[in-house]
Amino acid sequence: MSEAIERGSGSDKSPESEPLIVLKGVSRSYDGGAIAALRGIDLQIAAGDCLAIVGASGSGKSSLVNLLCGIDHASAGTVLWEGRVQRTRRDWARRRRLDIGIVFQEFNLIPTLTALENVEIALFGRGLSAPQRLTRAAVMLDRVGLEHRMHNRASTLSGGERQRVAIARAIVNQPKLLLADEPTGNLDSASAANVADLLFRLRQDTGQTLILVTHDDALAARCPRRVRIKDGVIIEDIRQGMAFRAGELPATP
Amino acid sequence: MNLLGLALRNLRRRPARTGLSILGIGLAVGSALALIALSHSIQDSTRESINELGDDLVVTQKGAADIFGGFIPEATIERVAAIPGVARVAGELFMFAPSTDQRSVLTLGWPETSYLWSRVPLREGRLPQPGEHLVAVLGDAAAAALGKKLDDELTLIGENFRIVGISNYTTVINRGLVLVPLIDLQEASYRMRQVTMIHVNVEHGAGAVEPGRVRAAIEALGNVTAATANEMLKNDRNVAVLDAVSLAISIIAVAMGALSVLSALMMATQERTREIGIFAAIGWSNARIMASIVLEGMSMCAVGCVLGVLLSFLAAFAFPHIPAIGNLISFRPSIALIAPVLGAACALCLIGSLIPAWRAIRMVPAEALRRM
Repeated sequence: MSEAIERGSGSDKSPESEPLIVLKGVSRSYDGGAIAALRGIDLQIAAGDCLAIVGASGSGKSSLVNLLCGIDHASAGTVLWEGRVQRTRRDWARRRRLDIGIVFQEFNLIPTLTALENVEIALFGRGLSAPQRLTRAAVMLDRVGLEHRMHNRASTLSGGERQRVAIARAIVNQPKLLLADEPTGNLDSASAANVADLLFRLRQDTGQTLILVTHDDALAARCPRRVRIKDGVIIEDIRQGMAFRAGELPATP
Repeated sequence: MNLLGLALRNLRRRPARTGLSILGIGLAVGSALALIALSHSIQDSTRESINELGDDLVVTQKGAADIFGGFIPEATIERVAAIPGVARVAGELFMFAPSTDQRSVLTLGWPETSYLWSRVPLREGRLPQPGEHLVAVLGDAAAAALGKKLDDELTLIGENFRIVGISNYTTVINRGLVLVPLIDLQEASYRMRQVTMIHVNVEHGAGAVEPGRVRAAIEALGNVTAATANEMLKNDRNVAVLDAVSLAISIIAVAMGALSVLSALMMATQERTREIGIFAAIGWSNARIMASIVLEGMSMCAVGCVLGVLLSFLAAFAFPHIPAIGNLISFRPSIALIAPVLGAACALCLIGSLIPAWRAIRMVPAEALRRM
């Protein structure tokens, strides 16, 4: 690791920012409790954090991400967004519409829509007119370097291009949190490098919170903070300049 | 792009299924319209045929289940004629009289003195002369259907009638009538001194008795009912049964159409589970997701309804050219008929769309995204 790792002093808050998301004792189990994907997770993510969640396949990374953006619900525990408990699906839908952008490993674009339309649909419900939506979507596609492909259907784009469209869709609402779940997992190495560069460049430009889920240690190393998860438990929380091991994680408020 | 555009694009993604669903709705709406319009057309045709004869009131046997089912003594005609306010009366015996080739024709028997004879619009030939027996005047449609012309013989209830005239009425039922002297029909049908109905004209203008009092006076004669053509048809049991059957079949037809929408949308939402998960993941509200699915259903419904209405108008155009139908009833879809059928179709399609939409929003987005 290139950065120095030190023991934490008892607080995981960034000195300059308030917690964006707080997980308190969050668990997620399936099949009536037979399968425990996450167990008693306590995690605090500050606004502006750049965080990698790492772990082996099946360790619970994706389950954790699903809870962080509310596309799944916790079996136990509490998830707070800016200090407020998100109780209902409606609450979470609003959060995702306004404050959270998600990039998936499988891109999750609508294949029959063009790149422009795929980005535009993320602006529905924002009180924008159709021309305003299209303009903003076009600006975002320009920003990810796809202005020349905006009228192509998603199904005709390459993997790297699709992921760029997905990133444009995720950032078009200027979210506070950008969640990327294995964003380079389905890409060749050149495309993966481009997409990774794009994500970090966007994060640098906007200062938004970035949570990157990956099993690629090299990619994770580009994040100042790394949370390692194993068997549904956070076993390590390392940030530039400080680190916590399991059992030493700072208490959440 | 908007939600409707998205819905239409989704429908175009599955042209065969969308087309079949629309066809299902179209046939359902068309069938319902045709059935209800046919049922109404029987009432309309009957009412128009009575109105064409110029009646103010018709007198039938009290409690008769339908217009063919009651009989009135011929003597009642004179008693009705004597009521103040009654301008003129005409008794009539009518029935579907068996002719040759096991065909039945609607046959009316009028007394030779009836004023109704003077109102017959003759296309050719003449009216029966006083005292003349076993002669008939055929409506032009009846003559065409039976293949008869002037001076031909027509067998009715085993008696041979000579055709002396061809009438030229405008309403469908009257065009299919056979008019004969009352006494001949009474004898042939063993209904001597009986009539089925009494046509009544009341006095109009200054000094006329109020129609309600005329009706009351007629009904005071006992065992008879005086009513307008409309009222009579409303109380007719045959018409009521026909209406009920048409309505029931129409509801079933429209429900089948809605089921095709439900089935198409259920399959579509099942196939598009992941897509619905994407919409949820990018923050679409439940209402918006539901709206996108309902819009698909209602778009199919709208096109299906237009198709159904077109089919019903096609039927309205075609049926008069089919003698077995066109000679008996007229078929006219109208706004008053179309509106409730379309309303019912839309309501059922809405339910058919809401069910899959409701299922869609109950899915956990993360699970939906895991589906292929």
